[in-house]
Amino acid sequence: MPDIERVLRESVDEVLEKMFFIRSFGDAAGVSGGSELVAYLTFVGKPSGSFTLRATLAVARSITADFLGEEDEMLDDGQVGEVICELANMICGSALSRMESQFQFRLASPVLLPTPPADRGATVQCAVELYNGALAVTMNMEETACSPTEEYVF
Amino acid sequence: MAYRVLIVDDSPAMRTFVRRVLEASGFELSVCFQASNGREALEVLRKEWVDVVLTDINMPEVDGEELIRRLAADDLLQTIPVVVISTDATRSRIDRLLALGARGYIAKPFRPEELRAELERTLGAPCA
Repeated sequence: MPDIERVLRESVDEVLEKMFFIRSFGDAAGVSGGSELVAYLTFVGKPSGSFTLRATLAVARSITADFLGEEDEMLDDGQVGEVICELANMICGSALSRMESQFQFRLASPVLLPTPPADRGATVQCAVELYNGALAVTMNMEETACSPTEEYVF
Repeated sequence: MAYRVLIVDDSPAMRTFVRRVLEASGFELSVCFQASNGREALEVLRKEWVDVVLTDINMPEVDGEELIRRLAADDLLQTIPVVVISTDATRSRIDRLLALGARGYIAKPFRPEELRAELERTLGAPCA
């Protein structure tokens, strides 16, 4: 799915640059080493599926500091978790809007998970290197789209 | 002219960010009220006059779409312009919210100058 991979990567870069004032240094192999935060959300539309964002704790804290305009040492865990969930929400929404602008979709509220969920369905991944670690996103898309009646629920 | 703004979003981090972006963009802000959903926003608006409402869509209790609907149905509050800030940039969603009464729409992610430009367009005047 090269097009979806490209869309996902563009969304990651655009959200990081516009909302967090961060530029990535290119592709990363993935998130590894030390503790990490995992944000997860589901979406319904065409397509339906789920979205997972993983970031090392160092990346999560620096991203939060940039977003809120605070010093790293002033942040509490709640703020970091909330901003990482917001980041996941924005990247997922941006990617879905680029993929299919004709159909509405609904994003569930992101939640933090202790570990990444298992991949299901068609999976597209993207990982970028930031100045103090990596950030990775995974989009799982179900094969079946929502029913015609669900299109009018939104 | 300095503006009185109400930011409606269930994420405190997002409310903080929007306020910070408004200030950084040079937008003249006199008072910035905040609410975490549409119900709280309506409570604020019954007590305080604002020049513009910036609202998210997906929120608990009263969401942004219902907030726009209630404001449009209120004789006093219907004149307050509402600008939607949402991750959903699909054309059908934007058209639907504008038809309900929203005066502006900005999709996340956005640059500070894009938010200011949309506010200037909505308010019909330079905002600095």
